[in-house]
Amino acid sequence: MTGPLGQIALLAAKDLRVEARSRQTLGLVTVTGILVIVVLGLGLGTQGQSPGVGATAILWVAYLFSGVLCFEKTMAMERHDGALAGLLAAPIDRGVIFASKLLTNLALMLVMSVVITLVAVVLFRFDLSAAPGGFAAVTLLSMIGFATVGTLFAAVTSSSRLQGGLLAVLVFPICLPLVITSTQLLTGMFRDGLALDSPGVGILASFDAVYLVVSWLAFERVLEP
Amino acid sequence: MTGLKETEPVTAAATRLEAPPAMDVARRVASVVAAAGVCLTLDDRHILQDIELEVPAGGTVALLGANGAGKSTLLKVLATLLRPSAGRLRLFGGDVGPHAAKLRSRIGLISHQPMLYRDLSVLENLVFFGRLYGVPGPRERAEALLEHVGMAHRADDAVKTLSRGLTQRAAIARALMHDPDLLLADEPFDGLDAGSAAALEALLTRLRAGGKTLILSNHDIRQALALTDRTVVLRRGRVVLDRPSRELTPDAVLKEIVGP
Amino acid sequence: MSTRWKTLKRLYLPVLLATFAGATAMLLLYTPVEATMGPVQKIFYVHLPAAINAFLACLVCFLGGVGFLWQRKMKWDDLSAAAAKVAALMCTVVLVTGVIWGRAAWGQWWTWSPRLTFSLLLWLLYVVYLIVRPSIESRERRAMISAVYAVAAFLDVPLVYLSVRLMPDIHPVSVEMDPAMKITLAVWFVPMSLLTVGLIAVFLAAATRRRLKRQQRREEASWSLATPREQGLRPGEDQVLQVARSGRP
Repeated sequence: MTGPLGQIALLAAKDLRVEARSRQTLGLVTVTGILVIVVLGLGLGTQGQSPGVGATAILWVAYLFSGVLCFEKTMAMERHDGALAGLLAAPIDRGVIFASKLLTNLALMLVMSVVITLVAVVLFRFDLSAAPGGFAAVTLLSMIGFATVGTLFAAVTSSSRLQGGLLAVLVFPICLPLVITSTQLLTGMFRDGLALDSPGVGILASFDAVYLVVSWLAFERVLEP
Repeated sequence: MTGLKETEPVTAAATRLEAPPAMDVARRVASVVAAAGVCLTLDDRHILQDIELEVPAGGTVALLGANGAGKSTLLKVLATLLRPSAGRLRLFGGDVGPHAAKLRSRIGLISHQPMLYRDLSVLENLVFFGRLYGVPGPRERAEALLEHVGMAHRADDAVKTLSRGLTQRAAIARALMHDPDLLLADEPFDGLDAGSAAALEALLTRLRAGGKTLILSNHDIRQALALTDRTVVLRRGRVVLDRPSRELTPDAVLKEIVGP
Repeated sequence: MSTRWKTLKRLYLPVLLATFAGATAMLLLYTPVEATMGPVQKIFYVHLPAAINAFLACLVCFLGGVGFLWQRKMKWDDLSAAAAKVAALMCTVVLVTGVIWGRAAWGQWWTWSPRLTFSLLLWLLYVVYLIVRPSIESRERRAMISAVYAVAAFLDVPLVYLSVRLMPDIHPVSVEMDPAMKITLAVWFVPMSLLTVGLIAVFLAAATRRRLKRQQRREEASWSLATPREQGLRPGEDQVLQVARSGRP
């Protein structure tokens, strides 16, 4: 029997293969993000405005809404035809299921965020040249935390009987520290020209660590056939 | 978990092993399933109460009862999908708690839902589950199984394109990929056409002859009695009847299902 | 119910009112009026105890969540929900007193200062908990989702606190307190804590009563099905159908 890492890879590969066949999630999620950016940008009239003011807000709102949609869909994949029961009946730790879903969500989110950021850069002339590495690092750390919380709550709320919008309402307040911290970090880097701030990075990393551990542990209790 | 009860049969006591189950234990252990005082309470509702069930290796059990009697729940508990709130459950001689993951590799589950990914092909599904269970040479085994259930010609078709009967056959192949010693079937005949139902009956009979342990819930009492050597009836979460199938008539069983 | 509990219940409200009266008297008469801010500054004596009690209520809510995830018994969910109600209430007090203070100190109703932002976010976290619950019909799902959220929300509190401190603070608050002020502050903890504990107990008791009544009704319904064949039970029939046909509750 393969070890947990192999199992995680196997499950994530299966998820991505299903996604590639059904082509449901990635397109929908990316388009949603783009739509959000366009609406916000038009509403705020940000053409030509310097980055670090409004840019992080636009990007974050786009990430939040499309991210939640993404998490819902990857979990819903297991609800068809009782597929989740098949996984639960297999000789794997529940935490493995969590890790694989998280990896799948991260992979999809990363693609989506690259596309959305490019669109925002082009449409609103956001200038990331001051600190592209810093921007990538902050976004990546934030995405990990967001995807972790999102995967956990998507698993708990995944059911055909529940109303839509529930996942967003639960995930957004929990993720606000990510929004605050990444906004402060990006503003610091782009507007004030500061280097990557270690307390801020520490907070992002702590957020990720705390919720990774909690989700791994909670998955044992939270998944129901 | 409660301790040993005085009323436990000697065979069960003799099979109490403290070491984690090894692959050859099945040959030495008499009981595949040993449930003692198993209860399941959810939201303060008692779904299963004081379930005593002992199934030896190679035994076949029909699990019957009205809707809501607890059959599906009991099968899920035996498949380790649900955790009992009280009582003791041993599978293959090992306590379910600490060794649950390892024990699952010897259990196969069929339900009225196929548990397959509809966008993947039948073969891809089987190979995935094979790899998940650590089956060596999953592709060859999958192809052989599909031959066995008469589905080799649809192996590369997406599951969503299959009829209900064929989907169920694919589900059965999935359940058998890892050659489980214990097969749990939750109303597997639900919604099957006559041809697929006959094929499933034949398959279950073959498995029975091959010494597999089988616990099957069903609505057709006559069919259940014919396919198994023991019948257990649940009513409102309790075992009300546990007798060899050949001693029972469909009417007698029906009476127990419905109650006084 | 034992006599000790009964006396406790009877004493509670008078004691609570007395301590509030006493604390208010101290606030109005005993403490000096602060030079820069005027009488509104005194709202601080309510603000800080409310904040600490809000945090304690959040902790109890978290423990309820952990308890449910561990034991899957509804009593933990009742505790969690009761504590969340009190947490939201206390957070409202904190937020409102903070806003009033801000208006008096800086002339603005709202600023995105770390303190106010923290109060707002904490308030949001627990209001969401309360708002979401009724929209989930299944009690088991509701309890499960609430439990996970309760755990996640409490762990979020330090993270929110740390992250708001990164925000620019235009109006840092420094409070120098003379002995009279410190005593009054300490005194205010008594009625606030009594209120917190009392409210959690009241909400918990009400929820437990409702749950036991539901359980009783369910057991009565299933008992009535055991009565003899006058009901004309048909084979394989649903229990719900049987009850509906019999016309009994």
